[in-house]
Amino acid sequence: MTRASILNFIWIAVAFLIAGYLLIPIALVVLFSFNTSALTSLPLSGLTLAWYGKLLSIDYFWPALQNSMIIAAAVSVVSVASGTLAALALARMPARRSERFIYLLSLPMMLPALIIGISLLSFFVRLLPIKLGLFTVILGQLVVVQPFVIAILYARLQSFDWSIVDSARDLGATPSRAFFTITLPVIQPTVVGAGLIALAISLDDFIITFFTIGSGNTLPTMVWGLVRTSLDPTINALATLLLAVSIGSTALALRFSRYQG
Amino acid sequence: MTEGWRKWLSGDRRGTYAVALVPAGAIFAGLFIAPLAYFFAVSFWTVRARMMRPDFSPQNYVEAVSEYGDVLAFTLAISGIIAISTTVLAFLFAYAIRFKLGRFANLFLFLTLITLFGGYLVKIYAWKSILGTDGVLNKALLLLGIIEAPLGALLYSANGVVITLTYFLLPFAVLPIYGSLRSLKDVTIEAARDLGAGPVSVMRDVVLPQCQGGLLTAFTLSFLISAGDYVTPRFVGGGAALIGTFIENQFSIAFNWPLGSALAFTTMAATLAVVAAVRFLLVWGLKP
Repeated sequence: MTRASILNFIWIAVAFLIAGYLLIPIALVVLFSFNTSALTSLPLSGLTLAWYGKLLSIDYFWPALQNSMIIAAAVSVVSVASGTLAALALARMPARRSERFIYLLSLPMMLPALIIGISLLSFFVRLLPIKLGLFTVILGQLVVVQPFVIAILYARLQSFDWSIVDSARDLGATPSRAFFTITLPVIQPTVVGAGLIALAISLDDFIITFFTIGSGNTLPTMVWGLVRTSLDPTINALATLLLAVSIGSTALALRFSRYQG
Repeated sequence: MTEGWRKWLSGDRRGTYAVALVPAGAIFAGLFIAPLAYFFAVSFWTVRARMMRPDFSPQNYVEAVSEYGDVLAFTLAISGIIAISTTVLAFLFAYAIRFKLGRFANLFLFLTLITLFGGYLVKIYAWKSILGTDGVLNKALLLLGIIEAPLGALLYSANGVVITLTYFLLPFAVLPIYGSLRSLKDVTIEAARDLGAGPVSVMRDVVLPQCQGGLLTAFTLSFLISAGDYVTPRFVGGGAALIGTFIENQFSIAFNWPLGSALAFTTMAATLAVVAAVRFLLVWGLKP
Protein backbone atom coordinates (compact mmCIF):
# COMPACT_ATOMS: atom_id res chain seq x y z
CA MET A 1 0.00 0.00 0.00
CA THR A 2 1.17 3.47 -0.76
CA ARG A 3 1.41 6.13 1.92
CA ALA A 4 -1.62 7.96 0.52
CA SER A 5 -3.84 4.89 0.59
CA ILE A 6 -2.84 4.07 4.18
CA LEU A 7 -3.78 7.63 5.12
CA ASN A 8 -7.11 7.24 3.33
CA PHE A 9 -7.76 3.98 5.15
CA ILE A 10 -7.12 5.68 8.50
CA TRP A 11 -9.57 8.51 7.62
CA ILE A 12 -12.29 6.01 6.72
CA ALA A 13 -11.67 3.96 9.86
CA VAL A 14 -11.94 7.11 12.00
CA ALA A 15 -15.19 8.09 10.26
CA PHE A 16 -16.69 4.65 10.94
CA LEU A 17 -15.61 4.78 14.59
CA ILE A 18 -17.29 8.18 15.03
CA ALA A 19 -20.41 6.93 13.25
CA GLY A 20 -20.45 4.00 15.70
CA TYR A 21 -20.16 6.43 18.61
CA LEU A 22 -23.17 8.35 17.19
CA LEU A 23 -25.33 5.29 16.55
CA ILE A 24 -24.57 2.55 19.07
CA PRO A 25 -25.98 4.25 22.21
CA ILE A 26 -29.30 4.97 20.48
CA ALA A 27 -29.39 1.46 19.04
CA LEU A 28 -28.84 -0.04 22.51
CA VAL A 29 -31.73 1.95 24.01
CA VAL A 30 -34.02 0.58 21.29
CA LEU A 31 -32.66 -2.95 21.65
CA PHE A 32 -33.16 -3.07 25.43
CA SER A 33 -36.77 -1.95 25.07
CA PHE A 34 -37.47 -5.39 23.53
CA ASN A 35 -35.38 -7.36 26.03
CA THR A 36 -37.19 -9.69 28.47
CA SER A 37 -34.70 -9.05 31.28
CA ALA A 38 -35.27 -5.99 33.48
CA LEU A 39 -31.53 -5.35 33.51
CA THR A 40 -30.10 -3.21 30.76
CA SER A 41 -27.11 -5.40 29.98
CA LEU A 42 -26.04 -7.71 27.19
CA PRO A 43 -26.55 -10.45 26.10
CA LEU A 44 -30.30 -10.14 25.44
CA SER A 45 -32.32 -12.75 27.31
CA GLY A 46 -35.24 -12.85 24.87
CA LEU A 47 -37.58 -10.60 22.93
CA THR A 48 -40.79 -9.13 24.32
CA LEU A 49 -43.24 -6.25 23.94
CA ALA A 50 -44.07 -6.36 27.65
CA TRP A 51 -42.33 -3.06 28.45
CA TYR A 52 -44.48 -1.27 25.88
CA GLY A 53 -47.55 -2.80 27.50
CA LYS A 54 -46.36 -1.63 30.89
CA LEU A 55 -45.75 1.87 29.50
CA LEU A 56 -49.26 2.12 28.04
CA SER A 57 -50.76 1.03 31.35
CA ILE A 58 -49.11 3.84 33.33
CA ASP A 59 -52.03 6.16 34.08
CA TYR A 60 -50.19 9.42 33.39
CA PHE A 61 -48.78 8.26 30.03
CA TRP A 62 -51.88 9.27 28.02
CA PRO A 63 -52.21 12.81 29.43
CA ALA A 64 -48.46 13.28 28.87
CA LEU A 65 -48.79 12.13 25.26
CA GLN A 66 -51.75 14.45 24.74
CA ASN A 67 -49.91 17.43 26.26
CA SER A 68 -46.85 16.76 24.11
CA MET A 69 -49.00 16.65 20.99
CA ILE A 70 -50.92 19.85 21.77
CA ILE A 71 -47.70 21.73 22.53
CA ALA A 72 -45.84 20.39 19.48
CA ALA A 73 -48.72 21.22 17.12
CA ALA A 74 -49.11 24.76 18.43
CA VAL A 75 -45.35 25.45 18.47
CA SER A 76 -44.82 24.20 14.92
CA VAL A 77 -47.76 26.11 13.46
CA VAL A 78 -46.87 29.41 15.15
CA SER A 79 -43.10 29.14 14.60
CA VAL A 80 -43.55 28.21 10.93
CA ALA A 81 -45.82 31.23 10.41
CA SER A 82 -43.58 33.72 12.21
CA GLY A 83 -40.36 32.14 10.93
CA THR A 84 -41.43 32.01 7.29
CA LEU A 85 -42.55 35.64 7.34
CA ALA A 86 -39.27 36.68 8.92
CA ALA A 87 -37.19 34.64 6.44
CA LEU A 88 -39.07 36.20 3.51
CA ALA A 89 -38.34 39.68 4.81
CA LEU A 90 -34.69 38.85 5.56
CA ALA A 91 -34.10 37.22 2.18
CA ARG A 92 -34.95 40.44 0.35
CA MET A 93 -32.73 42.63 2.50
CA PRO A 94 -29.13 43.46 1.66
CA ALA A 95 -27.09 40.38 2.70
CA ARG A 96 -25.10 42.24 5.31
CA ARG A 97 -28.11 43.55 7.18
CA SER A 98 -30.03 40.26 6.99
CA GLU A 99 -27.04 38.32 8.35
CA ARG A 100 -26.87 40.68 11.31
CA PHE A 101 -30.59 40.09 11.97
CA ILE A 102 -30.21 36.31 11.66
CA TYR A 103 -27.32 36.39 14.12
CA LEU A 104 -29.46 38.35 16.57
CA LEU A 105 -32.53 36.13 16.16
CA SER A 106 -30.34 33.01 16.61
CA LEU A 107 -29.09 34.06 20.05
CA PRO A 108 -31.58 31.76 21.84
CA MET A 109 -29.85 28.79 20.15
CA MET A 110 -26.55 29.72 21.77
CA LEU A 111 -27.83 30.21 25.31
CA PRO A 112 -28.18 27.20 27.64
CA ALA A 113 -31.85 26.18 27.85
CA LEU A 114 -31.52 26.34 31.64
CA ILE A 115 -31.06 30.11 31.55
CA ILE A 116 -33.94 30.60 29.09
CA GLY A 117 -36.13 28.31 31.21
CA ILE A 118 -35.52 30.01 34.56
CA SER A 119 -35.78 33.52 33.12
CA LEU A 120 -39.15 32.59 31.58
CA LEU A 121 -40.22 31.05 34.89
CA SER A 122 -39.48 34.23 36.84
CA PHE A 123 -41.01 36.38 34.08
CA PHE A 124 -44.29 34.42 33.98
CA VAL A 125 -44.68 33.78 37.68
CA ARG A 126 -43.38 36.97 39.20
CA LEU A 127 -43.75 39.81 36.71
CA LEU A 128 -46.81 39.08 34.60
CA PRO A 129 -48.16 36.84 36.52
CA ILE A 130 -49.58 34.13 34.23
CA LYS A 131 -50.62 30.74 35.53
CA LEU A 132 -48.10 28.13 34.36
CA GLY A 133 -49.46 25.47 32.01
CA LEU A 134 -49.42 24.27 28.42
CA PHE A 135 -49.78 27.86 27.17
CA THR A 136 -46.60 29.02 28.91
CA VAL A 137 -44.73 25.95 27.62
CA ILE A 138 -45.80 26.84 24.07
CA LEU A 139 -44.58 30.44 24.53
CA GLY A 140 -41.29 29.22 25.97
CA GLN A 141 -40.57 26.68 23.24
CA LEU A 142 -41.30 29.22 20.51
CA VAL A 143 -38.17 31.10 21.62
CA VAL A 144 -35.83 28.21 20.82
CA VAL A 145 -37.71 26.66 17.89
CA GLN A 146 -38.18 29.83 15.83
CA PRO A 147 -34.45 30.36 15.02
CA PHE A 148 -34.27 26.90 13.42
CA VAL A 149 -37.27 27.63 11.20
CA ILE A 150 -35.82 30.99 10.15
CA ALA A 151 -32.40 29.46 9.39
CA ILE A 152 -33.86 26.64 7.27
CA LEU A 153 -36.14 28.93 5.25
CA TYR A 154 -33.56 31.65 4.86
CA ALA A 155 -31.13 29.08 3.43
CA ARG A 156 -33.78 27.93 0.94
CA LEU A 157 -34.65 31.49 -0.12
CA GLN A 158 -31.02 32.20 -1.00
CA SER A 159 -31.57 30.35 -4.28
CA PHE A 160 -35.10 31.67 -4.81
CA ASP A 161 -35.77 33.44 -8.09
CA TRP A 162 -37.39 36.72 -7.03
CA SER A 163 -37.91 37.86 -10.61
CA ILE A 164 -40.99 35.63 -10.95
CA VAL A 165 -42.59 37.34 -7.97
CA ASP A 166 -41.64 40.75 -9.35
CA SER A 167 -43.23 39.86 -12.70
CA ALA A 168 -46.42 38.81 -10.97
CA ARG A 169 -46.46 42.11 -9.10
CA ASP A 170 -45.83 44.03 -12.34
CA LEU A 171 -48.73 42.20 -13.94
CA GLY A 172 -50.95 43.50 -11.19
CA ALA A 173 -50.98 40.76 -8.54
CA THR A 174 -51.43 42.04 -5.00
CA PRO A 175 -48.59 41.14 -2.61
CA SER A 176 -50.72 38.50 -0.90
CA ARG A 177 -51.86 37.02 -4.22
CA ALA A 178 -48.24 36.84 -5.41
CA PHE A 179 -47.30 35.15 -2.17
CA PHE A 180 -50.04 32.51 -2.25
CA THR A 181 -49.85 31.69 -5.96
CA ILE A 182 -46.08 31.86 -6.48
CA THR A 183 -43.81 32.14 -3.45
CA LEU A 184 -45.62 29.68 -1.19
CA PRO A 185 -46.02 26.85 -3.73
CA VAL A 186 -42.32 27.09 -4.61
CA ILE A 187 -41.03 27.05 -1.04
CA GLN A 188 -43.78 24.76 0.29
CA PRO A 189 -41.59 21.62 0.67
CA THR A 190 -39.14 23.61 2.79
CA VAL A 191 -41.99 25.08 4.86
CA VAL A 192 -43.26 21.56 5.57
CA GLY A 193 -39.71 20.43 6.35
CA ALA A 194 -39.18 23.30 8.78
CA GLY A 195 -42.51 22.47 10.43
CA LEU A 196 -41.42 18.87 10.96
CA ILE A 197 -38.10 19.99 12.45
CA ALA A 198 -40.05 22.32 14.76
CA LEU A 199 -42.21 19.35 15.75
CA ALA A 200 -39.13 17.23 16.53
CA ILE A 201 -37.50 19.95 18.66
CA SER A 202 -40.73 20.65 20.53
CA LEU A 203 -41.45 16.97 21.26
CA ASP A 204 -37.91 16.55 22.54
CA ASP A 205 -37.68 19.68 24.67
CA PHE A 206 -37.22 18.92 28.33
CA ILE A 207 -35.55 21.84 30.08
CA ILE A 208 -37.81 24.74 29.03
CA THR A 209 -40.88 22.55 29.47
CA PHE A 210 -39.74 21.51 32.94
CA PHE A 211 -39.55 25.12 34.15
CA THR A 212 -42.66 26.48 32.44
CA ILE A 213 -45.25 23.70 32.76
CA GLY A 214 -46.07 24.09 36.46
CA SER A 215 -47.78 20.76 37.04
CA GLY A 216 -48.56 18.01 34.55
CA ASN A 217 -46.31 16.05 32.24
CA THR A 218 -45.09 15.85 28.68
CA LEU A 219 -43.30 12.77 27.34
CA PRO A 220 -39.79 14.13 28.13
CA THR A 221 -40.73 15.18 31.69
CA MET A 222 -42.16 11.67 32.06
CA VAL A 223 -38.78 10.20 31.02
CA TRP A 224 -37.18 12.43 33.67
CA GLY A 225 -39.56 11.10 36.32
CA LEU A 226 -39.07 7.48 35.28
CA VAL A 227 -35.26 7.70 35.28
CA ARG A 228 -35.40 8.96 38.84
CA THR A 229 -37.91 6.45 40.14
CA SER A 230 -37.76 3.21 38.18
CA LEU A 231 -34.97 1.20 36.70
CA ASP A 232 -36.66 -1.15 34.24
CA PRO A 233 -36.90 -0.97 30.44
CA THR A 234 -40.25 0.88 30.53
CA ILE A 235 -38.01 3.94 30.11
CA ASN A 236 -36.45 2.28 27.07
CA ALA A 237 -39.90 1.75 25.59
CA LEU A 238 -40.81 5.40 26.12
CA ALA A 239 -37.38 6.52 24.88
CA THR A 240 -37.78 4.40 21.74
CA LEU A 241 -41.17 5.97 21.11
CA LEU A 242 -39.70 9.49 21.43
CA LEU A 243 -36.75 8.58 19.20
CA ALA A 244 -39.04 7.10 16.57
CA VAL A 245 -41.13 10.28 16.41
CA SER A 246 -38.24 12.77 16.40
CA ILE A 247 -35.98 10.78 14.04
CA GLY A 248 -38.98 9.97 11.84
CA SER A 249 -40.05 13.59 11.50
CA THR A 250 -36.46 14.76 10.91
CA ALA A 251 -36.00 12.12 8.19
CA LEU A 252 -39.29 13.18 6.58
CA ALA A 253 -38.24 16.82 6.82
CA LEU A 254 -34.96 16.06 5.04
CA ARG A 255 -36.86 14.26 2.32
CA PHE A 256 -39.23 17.19 1.85
CA SER A 257 -36.73 20.00 1.94
CA ARG A 258 -33.77 18.16 0.39
CA TYR A 259 -31.70 19.92 3.03
CA GLN A 260 -27.98 19.18 2.71
CA GLY A 261 -26.33 20.41 5.87
CA MET B 1 -42.67 53.39 -14.82
CA THR B 2 -45.55 51.66 -13.07
CA GLU B 3 -46.68 52.70 -9.65
CA GLY B 4 -45.41 49.38 -8.24
CA TRP B 5 -41.94 49.95 -9.58
CA ARG B 6 -41.80 53.50 -8.32
CA LYS B 7 -42.77 52.28 -4.86
CA TRP B 8 -40.22 49.49 -5.12
CA LEU B 9 -37.39 51.80 -6.06
CA SER B 10 -38.29 54.56 -3.65
CA GLY B 11 -37.71 52.14 -0.82
CA ASP B 12 -41.38 51.52 -0.06
CA ARG B 13 -40.66 47.79 -0.01
CA ARG B 14 -38.70 48.30 3.17
CA GLY B 15 -41.97 49.04 4.91
CA THR B 16 -43.45 45.70 3.89
CA TYR B 17 -40.26 43.93 5.01
CA ALA B 18 -40.50 45.41 8.46
CA VAL B 19 -44.10 44.24 8.82
CA ALA B 20 -43.11 40.63 8.02
CA LEU B 21 -40.48 40.75 10.76
CA VAL B 22 -42.96 41.82 13.44
CA PRO B 23 -44.25 38.38 14.63
CA ALA B 24 -40.76 36.87 14.88
CA GLY B 25 -39.45 40.07 16.45
CA ALA B 26 -42.28 40.05 18.99
CA ILE B 27 -41.45 36.47 20.02
CA PHE B 28 -37.77 37.36 20.25
CA ALA B 29 -38.26 40.59 22.18
CA GLY B 30 -41.23 39.60 24.32
CA LEU B 31 -40.23 36.05 25.24
CA PHE B 32 -36.45 36.15 25.11
CA ILE B 33 -35.09 39.66 25.68
CA ALA B 34 -37.75 40.86 28.13
CA PRO B 35 -37.56 37.77 30.41
CA LEU B 36 -33.74 37.93 30.35
CA ALA B 37 -33.78 41.64 31.21
CA TYR B 38 -36.23 41.06 34.07
CA PHE B 39 -34.19 38.06 35.23
CA PHE B 40 -31.07 40.24 35.20
CA ALA B 41 -32.82 42.79 37.41
CA VAL B 42 -33.75 39.97 39.81
CA SER B 43 -30.05 39.21 40.32
CA PHE B 44 -29.75 42.47 42.29
CA TRP B 45 -32.66 41.68 44.58
CA THR B 46 -32.29 40.43 48.12
CA VAL B 47 -33.99 37.61 49.99
CA ARG B 48 -35.15 38.07 53.56
CA ALA B 49 -37.08 35.44 55.47
CA ARG B 50 -37.50 33.51 52.18
CA MET B 51 -39.20 36.52 50.55
CA MET B 52 -37.71 38.27 47.53
CA ARG B 53 -37.46 42.04 47.73
CA PRO B 54 -36.64 44.35 44.84
CA ASP B 55 -33.32 45.95 45.70
CA PHE B 56 -30.10 47.08 44.11
CA SER B 57 -27.50 45.02 45.87
CA PRO B 58 -24.33 43.47 44.41
CA GLN B 59 -24.40 40.94 47.27
CA ASN B 60 -25.51 38.01 45.06
CA TYR B 61 -22.60 38.52 42.70
CA VAL B 62 -20.17 38.68 45.61
CA GLU B 63 -21.61 35.41 46.88
CA ALA B 64 -21.58 33.86 43.38
CA VAL B 65 -17.87 34.56 42.95
CA SER B 66 -16.73 33.82 46.51
CA GLU B 67 -18.87 30.73 47.22
CA TYR B 68 -19.14 29.24 43.75
CA GLY B 69 -15.86 30.42 42.20
CA ASP B 70 -14.26 26.98 42.22
CA VAL B 71 -17.40 25.26 40.85
CA LEU B 72 -17.40 27.83 38.06
CA ALA B 73 -13.71 27.24 37.32
CA PHE B 74 -14.30 23.46 37.30
CA THR B 75 -17.29 23.96 34.96
CA LEU B 76 -15.21 26.07 32.56
CA ALA B 77 -12.44 23.44 32.56
CA ILE B 78 -14.83 20.54 31.88
CA SER B 79 -16.74 22.54 29.24
CA GLY B 80 -13.42 23.41 27.61
CA ILE B 81 -12.48 19.72 27.41
CA ILE B 82 -15.94 18.88 26.02
CA ALA B 83 -15.83 21.72 23.48
CA ILE B 84 -12.34 20.77 22.26
CA SER B 85 -13.08 17.05 21.96
CA THR B 86 -16.41 17.78 20.24
CA THR B 87 -14.81 20.19 17.76
CA VAL B 88 -11.93 17.81 16.95
CA LEU B 89 -14.21 14.78 16.44
CA ALA B 90 -16.65 16.90 14.43
CA PHE B 91 -13.84 18.15 12.20
CA LEU B 92 -12.53 14.62 11.56
CA PHE B 93 -16.03 13.41 10.74
CA ALA B 94 -16.93 16.39 8.55
CA TYR B 95 -13.60 16.18 6.71
CA ALA B 96 -14.07 12.46 6.05
CA ILE B 97 -17.63 13.07 4.80
CA ARG B 98 -16.48 15.86 2.50
CA PHE B 99 -13.31 14.31 1.05
CA LYS B 100 -12.84 10.64 1.95
CA LEU B 101 -16.08 8.68 2.03
CA GLY B 102 -17.14 8.88 -1.60
CA ARG B 103 -20.52 7.22 -2.09
CA PHE B 104 -20.99 6.71 1.66
CA ALA B 105 -20.78 10.47 2.26
CA ASN B 106 -24.53 11.13 1.93
CA LEU B 107 -25.38 8.24 4.24
CA PHE B 108 -23.05 9.56 6.94
CA LEU B 109 -24.42 13.08 6.57
CA PHE B 110 -27.96 11.74 6.84
CA LEU B 111 -26.96 9.88 9.99
CA THR B 112 -25.65 13.11 11.53
CA LEU B 113 -28.80 15.00 10.64
CA ILE B 114 -31.30 12.48 11.99
CA THR B 115 -29.51 12.18 15.33
CA LEU B 116 -29.53 15.99 15.64
CA PHE B 117 -32.99 16.59 17.07
CA GLY B 118 -33.72 13.26 18.72
CA GLY B 119 -33.79 12.57 22.39
CA TYR B 120 -31.77 14.86 24.64
CA LEU B 121 -32.83 12.93 27.74
CA VAL B 122 -32.81 9.65 25.83
CA LYS B 123 -29.16 10.13 24.89
CA ILE B 124 -28.12 10.90 28.46
CA TYR B 125 -30.10 7.91 29.69
CA ALA B 126 -28.42 5.71 27.06
CA TRP B 127 -24.99 6.54 28.46
CA LYS B 128 -26.17 5.93 32.00
CA SER B 129 -26.85 2.31 31.05
CA ILE B 130 -23.67 1.98 28.97
CA LEU B 131 -21.20 3.39 31.49
CA GLY B 132 -22.42 1.73 34.71
CA THR B 133 -20.35 -0.90 36.51
CA ASP B 134 -22.60 -3.64 35.06
CA GLY B 135 -23.14 -1.63 31.88
CA VAL B 136 -22.43 -2.62 28.32
CA LEU B 137 -18.99 -1.00 28.12
CA ASN B 138 -17.63 -2.70 31.22
CA LYS B 139 -19.13 -6.04 30.10
CA ALA B 140 -17.47 -5.70 26.70
CA LEU B 141 -14.09 -4.72 28.16
CA LEU B 142 -14.24 -7.65 30.62
CA LEU B 143 -15.17 -10.04 27.84
CA LEU B 144 -12.27 -8.85 25.69
CA GLY B 145 -9.94 -9.29 28.67
CA ILE B 146 -8.83 -5.65 28.54
CA ILE B 147 -9.77 -5.11 32.19
CA GLU B 148 -9.90 -7.48 35.17
CA ALA B 149 -12.60 -5.76 37.22
CA PRO B 150 -15.38 -3.34 36.20
CA LEU B 151 -14.25 0.27 36.01
CA GLY B 152 -16.20 2.33 38.51
CA ALA B 153 -14.87 5.66 37.34
CA LEU B 154 -16.75 5.62 34.01
CA LEU B 155 -20.11 6.56 35.42
CA TYR B 156 -20.77 9.12 38.15
CA SER B 157 -17.64 11.10 37.40
CA ALA B 158 -16.41 13.92 35.20
CA ASN B 159 -15.53 11.27 32.56
CA GLY B 160 -19.19 10.36 32.23
CA VAL B 161 -20.12 14.03 31.74
CA VAL B 162 -17.44 14.53 29.07
CA ILE B 163 -18.35 11.36 27.13
CA THR B 164 -22.10 12.05 27.26
CA LEU B 165 -22.06 15.74 26.40
CA THR B 166 -19.52 15.25 23.59
CA TYR B 167 -21.85 12.61 22.22
CA PHE B 168 -24.88 14.90 22.46
CA LEU B 169 -23.16 17.94 20.91
CA LEU B 170 -21.31 16.14 18.10
CA PRO B 171 -24.05 16.37 15.41
CA PHE B 172 -24.52 20.09 16.16
CA ALA B 173 -20.78 20.63 15.70
CA VAL B 174 -20.44 18.55 12.50
CA LEU B 175 -22.91 20.67 10.51
CA PRO B 176 -21.24 24.12 10.64
CA ILE B 177 -17.82 22.56 9.94
CA TYR B 178 -19.18 20.50 7.06
CA GLY B 179 -20.90 23.63 5.76
CA SER B 180 -17.63 25.54 5.59
CA LEU B 181 -15.76 22.55 4.09
CA ARG B 182 -18.34 22.25 1.34
CA SER B 183 -17.36 25.61 -0.09
CA LEU B 184 -13.73 24.43 -0.26
CA LYS B 185 -13.13 23.28 -3.85
CA ASP B 186 -11.22 20.11 -4.70
CA VAL B 187 -9.34 22.18 -7.30
CA THR B 188 -7.89 24.41 -4.58
CA ILE B 189 -6.46 21.41 -2.74
CA GLU B 190 -5.11 19.86 -5.93
CA ALA B 191 -3.49 23.15 -6.82
CA ALA B 192 -1.80 23.30 -3.42
CA ARG B 193 -0.58 19.71 -3.89
CA ASP B 194 0.70 20.41 -7.39
CA LEU B 195 2.64 23.31 -5.98
CA GLY B 196 4.41 20.85 -3.69
CA ALA B 197 2.43 21.12 -0.43
CA GLY B 198 2.44 17.94 1.69
CA PRO B 199 -0.65 16.64 3.57
CA VAL B 200 0.29 18.57 6.71
CA SER B 201 0.73 21.90 5.00
CA VAL B 202 -2.42 21.41 2.90
CA MET B 203 -4.29 20.87 6.15
CA ARG B 204 -2.67 23.81 7.94
CA ASP B 205 -2.55 26.37 5.14
CA VAL B 206 -5.60 25.50 3.02
CA VAL B 207 -8.20 23.39 4.86
CA LEU B 208 -8.10 24.77 8.42
CA PRO B 209 -8.17 28.49 7.50
CA GLN B 210 -11.10 27.73 5.19
CA CYS B 211 -13.22 26.16 7.92
CA GLN B 212 -12.19 28.60 10.65
CA GLY B 213 -15.74 29.96 10.86
CA GLY B 214 -17.25 26.48 11.18
CA LEU B 215 -14.72 25.46 13.83
CA LEU B 216 -15.47 28.60 15.85
CA THR B 217 -19.23 28.03 15.65
CA ALA B 218 -18.79 24.39 16.70
CA PHE B 219 -16.54 25.30 19.63
CA THR B 220 -18.72 28.21 20.79
CA LEU B 221 -21.94 26.20 20.66
CA SER B 222 -20.51 23.17 22.50
CA PHE B 223 -18.78 25.32 25.12
CA LEU B 224 -21.80 27.48 25.92
CA ILE B 225 -24.29 24.60 25.96
CA SER B 226 -22.16 22.32 28.12
CA ALA B 227 -21.34 25.11 30.61
CA GLY B 228 -25.07 25.56 31.23
CA ASP B 229 -26.10 21.92 31.35
CA TYR B 230 -27.43 20.47 34.59
CA VAL B 231 -29.21 17.32 33.47
CA THR B 232 -26.11 15.38 32.34
CA PRO B 233 -24.16 15.86 35.60
CA ARG B 234 -27.28 14.80 37.50
CA PHE B 235 -27.61 11.54 35.53
CA VAL B 236 -24.02 10.50 34.90
CA GLY B 237 -21.85 12.98 36.82
CA GLY B 238 -22.16 11.74 40.41
CA GLY B 239 -20.17 14.13 42.56
CA ALA B 240 -18.98 16.07 39.53
CA ALA B 241 -21.63 18.77 39.77
CA LEU B 242 -21.31 21.64 37.35
CA ILE B 243 -22.49 25.20 37.97
CA GLY B 244 -25.82 24.45 36.26
CA THR B 245 -26.70 22.07 39.08
CA PHE B 246 -26.28 24.87 41.63
CA ILE B 247 -28.25 27.32 39.51
CA GLU B 248 -31.11 24.85 39.15
CA ASN B 249 -31.03 24.17 42.91
CA GLN B 250 -31.86 27.82 43.61
CA PHE B 251 -35.13 27.30 41.74
CA SER B 252 -36.11 23.78 42.80
CA ILE B 253 -34.84 23.45 46.37
CA ALA B 254 -33.37 26.63 47.85
CA PHE B 255 -35.82 29.10 46.28
CA ASN B 256 -33.20 31.83 46.20
CA TRP B 257 -33.96 33.20 42.75
CA PRO B 258 -31.76 36.30 43.06
CA LEU B 259 -28.70 34.15 43.82
CA GLY B 260 -29.64 31.74 41.00
CA SER B 261 -29.90 34.68 38.63
CA ALA B 262 -26.54 36.13 39.71
CA LEU B 263 -24.96 32.68 39.24
CA ALA B 264 -26.49 32.40 35.75
CA PHE B 265 -25.23 35.81 34.64
CA THR B 266 -21.79 35.28 36.19
CA THR B 267 -21.53 31.98 34.27
CA MET B 268 -22.65 33.65 31.05
CA ALA B 269 -20.08 36.44 31.44
CA ALA B 270 -17.29 33.94 32.21
CA THR B 271 -18.16 31.67 29.25
CA LEU B 272 -18.41 34.60 26.84
CA ALA B 273 -14.99 35.83 28.00
CA VAL B 274 -13.49 32.37 27.32
CA VAL B 275 -15.16 32.20 23.90
CA ALA B 276 -13.84 35.66 22.99
CA ALA B 277 -10.30 34.63 24.03
CA VAL B 278 -10.50 31.38 22.02
CA ARG B 279 -11.79 33.25 18.96
CA PHE B 280 -8.91 35.69 19.18
CA LEU B 281 -6.34 32.90 19.58
CA LEU B 282 -7.75 30.81 16.73
CA VAL B 283 -7.93 33.71 14.30
CA TRP B 284 -4.40 34.73 15.27
CA GLY B 285 -3.09 31.14 15.14
CA LEU B 286 -4.55 30.32 11.72
CA LYS B 287 -3.17 33.43 10.08
CA PRO B 288 -1.19 32.25 7.05
